[in-house]
Amino acid sequence: MSEWYQGMTRRKFLKGAASGIVLGLTGGPSFSIAREEVDLAVVSGDPAAATKKALEALGGISRFVKKGQHVVLKPNMSFTRTPEFGATTHPLVVATVAQACLEAGAQQVLVLDHTLHRAELCLERTGIREACKDLSGVHVLTLQERKFFREIKIPKGKVLERVEVMKEILDSPVLINLPVAKSHSATGVSMGIKGLMGLIWDREVFHSQVNMNQALADLATVIKPQLTILDATRALTSGGPGGPGEVKKPNLIIAGIDPIAVDSYGVSIVPWYGQTFKGRQVEHLLIAHQRGLGKIDIEQLNVLKEKA
Amino acid sequence: MRTLIQALSLLLFSTLFVFATYKLPDWLPADIYLRVDPLLGINAVFAAREVIGRALWSLILIGATLAIGRFFCAYVCPTGASIDFLDFLFFRKKKRPGLKAEARLRKVKYFLLIVFVTAALTGLSLAFLMDPLALLTRLYTFFIYPLALTVINLTLDLLRPLFKALGWVTLSHLHYFQSVFYMSAITLLIFGGIIALNRLIPRFWCRYLCPLGALLSLISPLGLFKRRVNEDCNECMKCQKTCPMGAIPEDPKATRLPECIQCRTCAKICPQKAITFPASLSWGGEYSKVDFSRRGFIYSVVGGLGVGFLATQTPFTLKESKFQLVRPPGAIPETEFLRTCIRCGECMKSCLTNTLQPCLWESGFSGLWTPKMELRLAPCDQNCNVCGKVCPTQAIRSLSLEEKTNAKVGTAVLRKEMCLVWAENKLCLICDEICPYNAIVFRPVEGYRRPVVIASKCNGCGFCEQRCPVKGESAIVVVPNGEIRLKEGSYVKEAKKLQLDFKPDPGDDKFLLEDSGFRIEEEKKGEKGISPREKTQPKKPKGFL
Repeated sequence: MSEWYQGMTRRKFLKGAASGIVLGLTGGPSFSIAREEVDLAVVSGDPAAATKKALEALGGISRFVKKGQHVVLKPNMSFTRTPEFGATTHPLVVATVAQACLEAGAQQVLVLDHTLHRAELCLERTGIREACKDLSGVHVLTLQERKFFREIKIPKGKVLERVEVMKEILDSPVLINLPVAKSHSATGVSMGIKGLMGLIWDREVFHSQVNMNQALADLATVIKPQLTILDATRALTSGGPGGPGEVKKPNLIIAGIDPIAVDSYGVSIVPWYGQTFKGRQVEHLLIAHQRGLGKIDIEQLNVLKEKA
Repeated sequence: MRTLIQALSLLLFSTLFVFATYKLPDWLPADIYLRVDPLLGINAVFAAREVIGRALWSLILIGATLAIGRFFCAYVCPTGASIDFLDFLFFRKKKRPGLKAEARLRKVKYFLLIVFVTAALTGLSLAFLMDPLALLTRLYTFFIYPLALTVINLTLDLLRPLFKALGWVTLSHLHYFQSVFYMSAITLLIFGGIIALNRLIPRFWCRYLCPLGALLSLISPLGLFKRRVNEDCNECMKCQKTCPMGAIPEDPKATRLPECIQCRTCAKICPQKAITFPASLSWGGEYSKVDFSRRGFIYSVVGGLGVGFLATQTPFTLKESKFQLVRPPGAIPETEFLRTCIRCGECMKSCLTNTLQPCLWESGFSGLWTPKMELRLAPCDQNCNVCGKVCPTQAIRSLSLEEKTNAKVGTAVLRKEMCLVWAENKLCLICDEICPYNAIVFRPVEGYRRPVVIASKCNGCGFCEQRCPVKGESAIVVVPNGEIRLKEGSYVKEAKKLQLDFKPDPGDDKFLLEDSGFRIEEEKKGEKGISPREKTQPKKPKGFL
């Protein structure tokens, strides 16, 4: 079992590994070093093509996924909504990333969520199961039972001491977060960081017993996706997280290693509830940033913008 | 041969039962067994005082019984098959005492039939208590189905390490949603009692109690096939002893035709091969009358009328539209609903979310086992309309998804004194987050953003009530107020007429103070009392700084 969730070492290790040993093994540096310094890849286009291009811009999925590894993808498929509602991740984004993982040699790709609505219906209505059904080695599952979760400690937790997390996340070396850009009536927006709540067992405490924004930052100290790909092909700018609400079409895919940077950029692309906000104005993002979990000021980021 | 047909029938019954759930294809009548049951049909048609389309299917069974005889009990009835099977399992080797009062007991089923039919005439649906198909469907729903799920899940848990080792990903994460029901124990007890009675005599239930058997036996002597004994008979009485129905009298050459279910056990056991079941048209002559005393008849009629009047004239009746009962979407108006529902439990089995639960005394004797929505337990999903599809008497109307969405079952009411946001200023928003219709919005009240229910957008699905994190009773509850119960016609039109709108509409969630429709003069009045923190609450959506 990997212990990556315990600290920050994983990312450093990955960077070293990616640019060093493994790159050598896979046939030399096929992409420039300049590209590796890209903080965010922001690609406009249709969901599949933009996702593909965003992965390339970050240096290819093989930077994150190694041969024979188990990968967990965490899209938002928590609601029985079809894609046009903007409440769930676009199925083609999920399928494209899953396909890329397979191409990079992943042995197994699990697409997981702990849904709010009835699981079978979520799998059916979001279109994610359908989109992945021809990819062998990819399994779209919802884990709705406590036995699939395991309690871990949150050493740096301010309001949460421990949390029950999906075992698969703890046991897999790679977690890729695939949130959708949407509004949220308690946390302002729901993107990558808020999406982590789909990986835990008991989210009701977040609402009823603790300060949710602090709790989200706590969660982000222990669950650290290697990569976050924000699906902003549609953005549910009001009525979130479940919709129905106003759906805008930014047609963007925003990908990056820094989860706060991705979310923060996502905040800036459209007005939420009719008002323009910066990442700093989203409480849970600001808290997470202040606790050293990522960059929040997008002006300081190296953003690679492309068209697919 | 007979056992095989019985087993197949039980299998078909069970398979249809399994299929009665979300995504039931439109062409598959999962409730077909209940539809062809003439007792349930008569009960519903008499009690509701109108012709019910699906009940007409029972004409098939009536016709078949008229033509062939009482074959249903021996070959088709899944309850009979279960009784035979469990009899074989438990009592095969037991010596049974037999009953002296056989002749009198045999009449009981006719009395019961009369009680049920007369009760139905008074508008009380009662046959469900003892109709074998309703009984078995209830047993399946409330006992066998949850038990099967538990066993399957336990097996999966047990095999999970193996699945993992083999790399079977889906199986190693498979878990079936465990449905749970009220009244499982009582349903099991009743069925257990029926089986236990077999200790006394085989098919005790079918011989003496089953009102459906009684109904079929009234018309069965007209059938084509009848037991015949030829002159090879040496009166060894073997047939008389083995007949599971006690249809052979002291004279083994004669037959009590209403009791004979044509199982042909006698033909098989006869050492002389003297018994056959030839087809013979014989009108009149051989019609053996049901021995039925006039006094018994009158007693049963009076009994049925008495029960009927008592059960329909209670405080429950007067309170009928004032219950805190939330009925399934598409349930016809309460009076008609109670008359038409045959309490088979099929809707509760099929319910995707497990919100449909049986009533005990909530609406009195006349409401036993009727379905109610237990929204604290589970909500009603907007993508599912299966309860109406499987209702054999259409007490819950089969509706398209759009119609069902408009079949409002009630309205959510916020109990502010319990709500975490209203009472404790917590950052809770679960009801708003989960509401599929945006019927709950946050609006600025006295400087705070508070959840509010827009009644005209709430169709009572109950997601809010179920998800409310307040312990114990929910701080937001669905009450039947505003429910739409239509016997016929379109719910969409009715909803439109009432200016309700359950369609996705983001328009109301804009968070503009001016648009909120709330007068916030109180804010000024109470300014002194408001703490500094409260005063500085920004006019921004929650979560933004």
